[in-house]
Amino acid sequence: MKVFQKALIYALLGIIVIIMIFPFVWMVINTFNSEESIFKVPPEIIPDKLFKKDMFENYITVLRDYNFLRYSLNSFIVASLASLGQVITCSMAGFAFARMQFRGKNIVFAILLSTMMIPIQVTIIPEFILMMKLGWLNTFAPLIIPSFLVGTFGTFMYKEFFENIPKDLEDAAAIDGAGPLSMFIRVFFPLSIVQTATLFIIAFMNNWNDLLRPVLYISSTKLMTITMALTQFQSQYGARWNYLLTGAVLSILPLLIVYIVLQRFVMEGITHTGLKG
Amino acid sequence: MQKKLSTWFHPYHAWLFLIPTLLGLLVFRLGPMVAASILSFTNWNILVKPKWVGLNNYQELFSDPIFREVMINTFEFSLIYVIGVIIFGLSLALIVNSKVKGVTFFRAAYFTPVVTSAVAVGIVWSWLLSPHYGLVNIILENVFKLSPPVWLGERSIVLIVVVAVQLWKMSGYYMILFLAGLQDIPRIYYEAARIDGANKWHSFWKITLPLLSPMTFFVSTIAIIDSFKNFEIIYTMTQGGPSNATTTLVYSVYVNGFVFYRMGYASAVAYILLIVIGIITLFNFLLKKYWVNYQY
Repeated sequence: MKVFQKALIYALLGIIVIIMIFPFVWMVINTFNSEESIFKVPPEIIPDKLFKKDMFENYITVLRDYNFLRYSLNSFIVASLASLGQVITCSMAGFAFARMQFRGKNIVFAILLSTMMIPIQVTIIPEFILMMKLGWLNTFAPLIIPSFLVGTFGTFMYKEFFENIPKDLEDAAAIDGAGPLSMFIRVFFPLSIVQTATLFIIAFMNNWNDLLRPVLYISSTKLMTITMALTQFQSQYGARWNYLLTGAVLSILPLLIVYIVLQRFVMEGITHTGLKG
Repeated sequence: MQKKLSTWFHPYHAWLFLIPTLLGLLVFRLGPMVAASILSFTNWNILVKPKWVGLNNYQELFSDPIFREVMINTFEFSLIYVIGVIIFGLSLALIVNSKVKGVTFFRAAYFTPVVTSAVAVGIVWSWLLSPHYGLVNIILENVFKLSPPVWLGERSIVLIVVVAVQLWKMSGYYMILFLAGLQDIPRIYYEAARIDGANKWHSFWKITLPLLSPMTFFVSTIAIIDSFKNFEIIYTMTQGGPSNATTTLVYSVYVNGFVFYRMGYASAVAYILLIVIGIITLFNFLLKKYWVNYQY
């Protein structure tokens, strides 16, 4: 490739990187600003608290006084349990679809796939009424149970994976006397570490980032998740940008770390498993 | 021949493995779909018993000027979004498909907004676009000497601004899809075309686009479904305002159901949403044969 052409490509790549990443960088920089200097026009490139004694003051205030530590913990509990459920449910269903013949298999699978395109807003009103009748309002249950129980893309991913495992393995285990449960737990499931990790991460991200269910189901401040807490903070103290931006950074930091460490996993997982599920 | 060894299970075992999935499917997907259709013919505010009102909700919807605006907003949002992700996703994919050093870093960087929550993205952009101290306006005013609008306050532009932010967030996802499509096109076609004297521009229109069309179709299918999932970004950036300028069907379900507590009316909106998605997806499939080629 010609030098000129190469330079052009790098210039283009660089400009786009600025467009995609700079908003986040600018946000992180400004979490080290005090409330006064965040409104300075023109803005200072170097925030006023950076490398000073009270550098992390915004973070400490948000985590302690505005309870974001609690909210992160809530999000962590909800997202972990929901993802754990996704893994159990989807791996079991994927295994049944892939390795067992039974009547009605194709119909059930087709119904499962076709419900994928239905936005949650279509089913949320009856779901809300159900949760109300069960007395689950203002608990974590409605945030966890629905995604615990059914997952289209996860099931699809496990099905594809289990289908491609050679039949010999199944036969050998059957000769050794494995029943359905040990066939699944001892033979097939341990092979799917990559799929399991991928699904767990993706489900964790989706649940961590979810907003509609927390907004509908959670009313007490103690149980708020971090995304919900951010929107509440925004409507209450909209102009306190130093704290709001710090909260936003805290809400994306855990996922960002996971993404940076397990980049390949996350990228391929999201691409394969679709957007939400 | 395989029958002999496959006796490690009975068909009912399969159903046991499917218990959680079937339960979830019935209780959280199929059941609510049926329930919502029934609810849409009632008047219900949660406190008193639902009252059967026949087609009243639908009649009210179609005579309501706000609902007409909501429909227009929804179509506008979806149209801009689907065309946008195809153009930006493909452009990004073409750029990151170049064989230069460090290109995987750029791929990962462009994907970052995808893994970030829509709430955080909405907050960052609300801040960057705010009238006096927002960075975008500061740059436009002081460097380019322009007088920029109040991005999230003017009815004529606010919807486009919100779609643009959603496009910014999601383009990286479609980039990865298109990249997979590009890498599946056999190199030999390009070499043959080069020998025949075709330049890059010609190869793009005559080879890349036609051979990419199955992926473009897949992307459009996903993007159509995705284009209706805009609740988070609207909730965070505009709350449907100013005066309904950014209220879409999805947001309208939330407002009618959980702000005004009109469960029946909101269910009717939800059903219209379902029908709209169904029709558009069907159209997309019907139009497929005119532009998608599967021969290679």
